[in-house]
Amino acid sequence: MRRLETRWGILMALPAILGFLIFTIGPMAASAFFSFTDWTIGASPSFIGLDNYTAMVGDELFWKSLTATTYYTLGSVPLVLIVSFAVAMLLNQKVRGLSAWRTIFYLPTLVPAIANVVLWIWIFNPDFGLLNSLLRQGGLPDSQWIYGESTAVPSLIIMSTWGFGNTMVIFLAGLQGVPRHLYEAVSIDGGGAWRRFWHVTLPMMTPTIFYNLVVGVVGTFQVFNQAYVMTEGGPNHATLFYVYYLFRKAFTESEMGYASALAWTLFMIIMVVTFLMFRNARRWVYYEMAGAR
Amino acid sequence: MRRRDLLKLGGLAALGATAACGGGSGSGSGGNVQLQFMFWGSTYEKAAVERMLNQYEQKNAGVKVKPLFTPDEYDVKLNTLVASNKLPDLGYVPMSMSFRLGEQGKLVNLFPYLKKYPQLAGYLPDAYLWTGQDNLHGVATANESMLLWYSKSAAAAAGVTPPAEAASAWTWDQLVENAYKLTVDQNGKHPDESGFDPKQVRQFGVSISFTYGAAWYGLLRSNGGDFADESGRRCVLDSPEAIQVFQNLQDLVYKHRVAPGPGQLAATGDEVPGTNILLKTKRVAMVVDGQWSLLDMNESKVDYGMGVLPKYKEPFTASQVAGASAAFAGGKHEEEAVELLAFHNDPRYVDLFAKGLWMPQEKKYYEDQAAIDSWTKNAQHPPEFRTVVVDYARDHGVPDLRNRVKNMSAISSDVLTPALQELETGKRPAAEIMKATAPKITSMLQGWHHTQDV
Amino acid sequence: MTAVAAPEKAGSRGVAPTQGLRKPRRYGRILLYVALVLGAIPTLLPFVWLVRSALMQDAQMFVSPPEWIPSPFQWSNFGEALTSQPFGRYFVNTLVIAVISVLGTVLTCSVAAFSFSRLRWRGRDVVFALLLSGVMLPYAVTLIPTFVMWQELGALDTIAPLTVPSWFAGAGGGVFNIFLLRQFFLTIPFELDEAAYIDGASPWRVFWTIVMPLSKPAIIVVTIFTFIGTWNDFLGPLLYLQSEENYTLSLGLASFQSMYLTQWGYLMAASAAVIAPIIALFFFLQRYFIEGVTLTGIKN
Repeated sequence: MRRLETRWGILMALPAILGFLIFTIGPMAASAFFSFTDWTIGASPSFIGLDNYTAMVGDELFWKSLTATTYYTLGSVPLVLIVSFAVAMLLNQKVRGLSAWRTIFYLPTLVPAIANVVLWIWIFNPDFGLLNSLLRQGGLPDSQWIYGESTAVPSLIIMSTWGFGNTMVIFLAGLQGVPRHLYEAVSIDGGGAWRRFWHVTLPMMTPTIFYNLVVGVVGTFQVFNQAYVMTEGGPNHATLFYVYYLFRKAFTESEMGYASALAWTLFMIIMVVTFLMFRNARRWVYYEMAGAR
Repeated sequence: MRRRDLLKLGGLAALGATAACGGGSGSGSGGNVQLQFMFWGSTYEKAAVERMLNQYEQKNAGVKVKPLFTPDEYDVKLNTLVASNKLPDLGYVPMSMSFRLGEQGKLVNLFPYLKKYPQLAGYLPDAYLWTGQDNLHGVATANESMLLWYSKSAAAAAGVTPPAEAASAWTWDQLVENAYKLTVDQNGKHPDESGFDPKQVRQFGVSISFTYGAAWYGLLRSNGGDFADESGRRCVLDSPEAIQVFQNLQDLVYKHRVAPGPGQLAATGDEVPGTNILLKTKRVAMVVDGQWSLLDMNESKVDYGMGVLPKYKEPFTASQVAGASAAFAGGKHEEEAVELLAFHNDPRYVDLFAKGLWMPQEKKYYEDQAAIDSWTKNAQHPPEFRTVVVDYARDHGVPDLRNRVKNMSAISSDVLTPALQELETGKRPAAEIMKATAPKITSMLQGWHHTQDV
Repeated sequence: MTAVAAPEKAGSRGVAPTQGLRKPRRYGRILLYVALVLGAIPTLLPFVWLVRSALMQDAQMFVSPPEWIPSPFQWSNFGEALTSQPFGRYFVNTLVIAVISVLGTVLTCSVAAFSFSRLRWRGRDVVFALLLSGVMLPYAVTLIPTFVMWQELGALDTIAPLTVPSWFAGAGGGVFNIFLLRQFFLTIPFELDEAAYIDGASPWRVFWTIVMPLSKPAIIVVTIFTFIGTWNDFLGPLLYLQSEENYTLSLGLASFQSMYLTQWGYLMAASAAVIAPIIALFFFLQRYFIEGVTLTGIKN
């Protein structure tokens, strides 16, 4: 059995392994090599050892972009997780027109970014924008939103919440796998909705939550689009997200050597964070018994 | 599979080193020449360029031109093609990248060809892009210059007439004065009237971009200031003249309240929404923008007028704001590529000039009456185009910073733009910001780009 | 160990397939609908904005404060936008790429996920971690080497670079799919496999007849994500395709927002048209997110 499992295991993982060897590892290794070179696209790369990495230490924008990105990740990931979980629960109820409701809640994910940009620019407009109008009606102080240095990242975090659709769909799929007999057991014990949620839904959903957490963190550390289309990194570098900065170095300045070093530094950071999340997962993620073997 | 992969990896690592081997897409065999022309643009520009290429093919039997239309992320694609030696034969090149590629010898030196194609030799001096003595790596695709667009009906309603000739250009104070008349809040009040609500402005008097250099560079030069000193190694944006210009810009928003602040136009970049829309909806009465907006103005039937920029001392406007056009070195058909390069922005074959998007590069189109008429005497060009654009660009045009300052794209995105954004928020006065910024720019300056006579 | 019950069809007992058993009480139901309506307002906003913009003239689109009813209704935006470029051809090209990618991704990723979650073999978790690391490096720096590779293979201007990786578990970004499926597979009771193995089933049989049918919702998620991902992919087609006859919808859309000029009316109209098929796709596929296959028969 053991040998059979090994044979099948490798065989079934083979497409993925081959894919990694053919399509992924080569370009990764090439970029790792370039991170040790001074390479302006068009010229020849020359080996400079760790110079790119030491240059980063003194690069003010590197630190700025790392801070902005971490800020964004810490704000956006929990918010999106909570919102999408709540919506998934909502859309898992038996209601009339469920298909339509689900589609409506997924729509923001489907609308192209460029159409969204114009909308959000209006929402954030300091004078007649939606948010400030609401704040003023509520007698609250208004804000400069994406146009203020201190409010720009929080504004983009709020905006990112609208992209909850994909996370929500994964939760929705996960909710289908929660065995009903467990709910029955809680009900028989006289437990209400809250106990069912706390003692059944939440523990049974931990593998899905864990997935969304990891993917969320890996994804938001590489956040790019919002800075690219909404703020162009401004004002005053407030939303200069890491990958946006890297992208600019790589393709506007053609400094591919330095960009590669930036990329591999981020790689290490994400790697460490992910590793910690996986290690920590043993304490709170519930798999079917044998899954842990 | 794995061996192959490793081999590939070795090949990849060496890729950058094998820079010189022949790229180019030319697969010409047996007298048939195949060229590849890479370009960007709206669907409108795309159609015009394709018509131009068709005409070229008709005039040159045996030559086929394949358009490589790249609507967006042009620099990503071009960088990739450069790195993989898969360059087209010629095409548009983003301005700062053209200098980099020129220095790397990736672009054909046009200098030796000037004799053969006298048309290329007759351009406006600022159209040429040099990488060093006698090394002409490209030309600006088309001439473009900045001016003061205005809504005719808004101006008429306020009794304002922006001047259309250099001699009668407004002073800065006159601009401000007229902007007051053109600024109206929801209750019809002007900024100098009591009860004016700056949060509810219906129509702003004027808009001049802070972050778009071409918008203020003419003003800066007009006041006797500049970006850097003669050596191009010291930034002089902290000079009294420069500070005055930037302080004036800031005052338009916060002191006079006649110009929109950040976000008030619903804009992040320079283009959301375009000047044509701003004027058509009368969100703003006057906008400093390029002459290329003419195409949009006509398409969306705006009731527009064209005026010259205000002046401080000498009148100036930024010109040559477009991207570059160049032929890529190493192609199989360099000769034909250069010929097509001379052809591709010839007003006789491209209707983008007559439609208002482009201005010609050849001098004769600014000097010879018949030649001027050939592209300006049509329904798309208003009568004042002659004085506001043709004469003004010829006599008072200074080339945009991007064509002149080395390392400009890094300076711009890393230091200058953030400083201008700060200026725009009005939190600190121009003097403070510019005094902090100029030394940072100085540390990045590498001099002016080379210029010479042809 | 009890015998494994066959998966039971949802609703066969006429019970609401919800996390609770009883129908929510009346005030609960009212609250439910209130929540749905309140949630629908912000989520509908971007779409309504898109549609109203698609039907407006450029000038009205940017009036501030914004207007919601087009005046006049600019229906011609749709006709003109969609005929200004060969969108029919782009549609077919995009559909071909999307379908090939979905098939490849679903098949190879689920097989791999099965291996990584339900089969024990040496080095399994290390290999999985290695695969996962592929998505942690920003694509901006691997883009050029990848391009060079496809160039060496002579595959430029073909759909190979856009489709072949999906048959290798979607190489790169596809690892997320393996990870997702793995997480779902791990929630299925292992007693099911063991019972089958005792009956002499092969791992493939376990995968195909037990795990896959129980994972429909997760498979649907991967299908939706992959389809939408390829449908909207811009950079891939931009880099690898050269001839216009091979272009995809996203390249067509981008032509309306070039570097210096955006044709807003066309852009909005064409965008609305381009996302219509994926909205429909989602509408039809989301119905699989019901407790179609529940595990009521299992008791630990």
